[in-house]
Amino acid sequence: MLNPILNGITMKQILLKILRDSNKWSIILLTIVLFVSIPILSIAFNALNGPGESWGHIVHNMLPNYLKNSFWLVFGTSMLTLFFGISSAWIVSRYQIPFAKQLQWLLILPLAIPSYITAYAYAGFFDYAGFFEKIIGFRVDIMNIYGLIFILSISLYPYVFVASRAFFVNQSNNIIEASKILGASERKTFFKLILPLARPAFIGGLILVIMEVLNDYGAAKYYGINTFTTGIFRAWFSLEEPETAIYLSVILLVTILLFIILEKKQRKNTAYFNSVKNHTEVRKLELSKKWRYILFFVAIVPFLLGFVIPLLQLLFWAFLTYKDVFTTSFFTIALQSLSISLVSAVCTVSFALIFIYASKWNRLQFLKSFEKIGVLGYAIPGAVIAVGILIPSLFLDKSIVMFFKNNLDIKIGFLINGTVLILIYAFIIRYLAVAYSPIEASSLKLNNTLVDASKLLGKSNVFTFFKIELPILKPAILSGCILVFVDVMKELPLTLILKPYHINTLAVKAYEYASDELIAEAALPSLFIILTGILPIVFLNRLISKS
Amino acid sequence: MSNPILQLKKLTKTFSTGKVKALNEISFSLSKGKILALVGESGSGKTTLIRIITGLETQNNGSVVFKNNILSSNTIFIEPEKRNIGMVFQEYALFPHFTVFDNIAFGISKNKKERVTEVLDLVALEGFEKRFPHELSGGQQQRVALARALAPKPELLILDEPFSNLDVILRQQLRSDIKEILKKTNTTAIFVTHDIKDALKISDEILVLQKGNLLQHGNTDEVFKKPNCEYVSLLFDAFKI
Repeated sequence: MLNPILNGITMKQILLKILRDSNKWSIILLTIVLFVSIPILSIAFNALNGPGESWGHIVHNMLPNYLKNSFWLVFGTSMLTLFFGISSAWIVSRYQIPFAKQLQWLLILPLAIPSYITAYAYAGFFDYAGFFEKIIGFRVDIMNIYGLIFILSISLYPYVFVASRAFFVNQSNNIIEASKILGASERKTFFKLILPLARPAFIGGLILVIMEVLNDYGAAKYYGINTFTTGIFRAWFSLEEPETAIYLSVILLVTILLFIILEKKQRKNTAYFNSVKNHTEVRKLELSKKWRYILFFVAIVPFLLGFVIPLLQLLFWAFLTYKDVFTTSFFTIALQSLSISLVSAVCTVSFALIFIYASKWNRLQFLKSFEKIGVLGYAIPGAVIAVGILIPSLFLDKSIVMFFKNNLDIKIGFLINGTVLILIYAFIIRYLAVAYSPIEASSLKLNNTLVDASKLLGKSNVFTFFKIELPILKPAILSGCILVFVDVMKELPLTLILKPYHINTLAVKAYEYASDELIAEAALPSLFIILTGILPIVFLNRLISKS
Repeated sequence: MSNPILQLKKLTKTFSTGKVKALNEISFSLSKGKILALVGESGSGKTTLIRIITGLETQNNGSVVFKNNILSSNTIFIEPEKRNIGMVFQEYALFPHFTVFDNIAFGISKNKKERVTEVLDLVALEGFEKRFPHELSGGQQQRVALARALAPKPELLILDEPFSNLDVILRQQLRSDIKEILKKTNTTAIFVTHDIKDALKISDEILVLQKGNLLQHGNTDEVFKKPNCEYVSLLFDAFKI
């Protein structure tokens, strides 16, 4: 007997409507959601089995250290990135300084250098007989938590810079003029008016910084700082306790989840951020010659620290080592790196497209809320995703091996683990959001009546997509592809865990050189990664300028 | 009513909040070859109603029957592309990357060239085949949109505020042109408008909606002369001189 449950609607009626509105896209959407959720689900289920033997030891001796270090890294990097990002964004948006136009995109360039490569470069810069000691005359030890905070800050401040600058550029000039007419000084206008108004913008950028800090493995490992991510690696590879790695992953996931909730909450407060209507662009202030150069210097410092110094150090090392490093094996690795990145980018973008359109073409409203699960991967550190994938894939592989052995008396090796397939699957999950965001934004901007018109002319969803929507979405698809490509080129922790033995990437090669105390040799693969990273930054800058 | 081509039975639509009924048990029939003007102010439910008829939206209750086949009910849903219902959109919705020819030929599967020439002749746009939508005036775009909708020979054509983006002179011209074309092709049509003058000039029947409720449905003359409530009466007052 089916009872009335809601305003007189019976369960039977609800079921009939679900049957009426479900189509093949509902099933595809559910399959994709499941496919994307595997790492998180496997971590959640395996966490129920209890921790490994060393958990007690880790809780007493290591966990406080992981917590303390991760907290100070997040806190210190947040403060410094806010300082660098907001100050430089305000200066280039508000004042007439030399090379202001060039600075707008130069200040984003540090994003092209992965933080672990910046960390290697600075380790050499401040090392014995490094450039710093040669020029200044004394040595500074940077291989500690303060050094790491500095490295992560000069690498990641562009996230805050981009978000803040987008806000400052679009900020209504009327507000600043009203403040001035009411007698407020430039300083008071900035601190009392502009900064509080810009809060949602720069906090959005800051959340990305925090995600990157918690995801970092290469820099923390090289500087000898124990964090959650390095702890996961140690538990898995040194202690050989997947259960303990899972427990650490759960703590990290919960922490990330808290940040996501925080970000969502602060997004709700963005109403006033967008409420400034009929805005006129901020008029740039003319300054005295002295102040023009002082502010130019303040604005250019993050760029010098985050891009020029590490790049010069890497170029110097590359000059010293290119004869040893620039071999056929380097070309092979570069080719492997490029191929994996390209295939991953194409797969991720295709997957994002299917995900977006399956959700759109599915008529069951309640399924649409699952859409957000797809973009969760970007918030989850690479090491956690890797652990979440390894557990079920190892189980599956072992089951297949056992099946063949027991039933067919055939000995086979692992079919899934140690293949490029599993690596690409992990990249799809990790970077789905990177491809998803620009495509979804463009598809939302697309005039829906064009799609409706096509359908009413008798064309199917898929035909309509290829004929009408795809030509219009091409730029967004291309940008999604480029962004994923570069992210995969730079990726380290996930690749380190999941890559096949016989395949290498430039990021892993640079890491291996650095780990073997051959830091100068790490320069050439690093420079290659940077070169591929500059492309989307130019792209990103164009996008902001257009908006 | 003899031989109804379209029947709506107790159609109800409530949007997600569940509090506001966009359509409240709407029932009516439409005979073949008739032009029905769907009249009502913004928020009356006109757009929701035509979206449900075309299949671009699903109702919560009730059914849409077309040529004695159920298009949608509580258990059945036929996709929009399988309904053979054409539509002319308010903003024309011409595909910007297609020429006039490609736009019109989009919904045709056989004898594309002959049919495109035929409908272009019908809307008096011979020789415009190679132009792109942005190279046309508002009135010409409107005609292309009409030609495109008519090309697959739909059994029901819906025109959603087709004149709202046109100036007064063009509007008068197109009003009589569209009526003539629809009658010439014996096309059954639902004409959505908030402009009473459009409704009176073009339609055979008028259906008045207010806040999701059907207030009156009947012959244009009958509704005009004998409004059944104050709201309908007020709608036509300005034209009773």
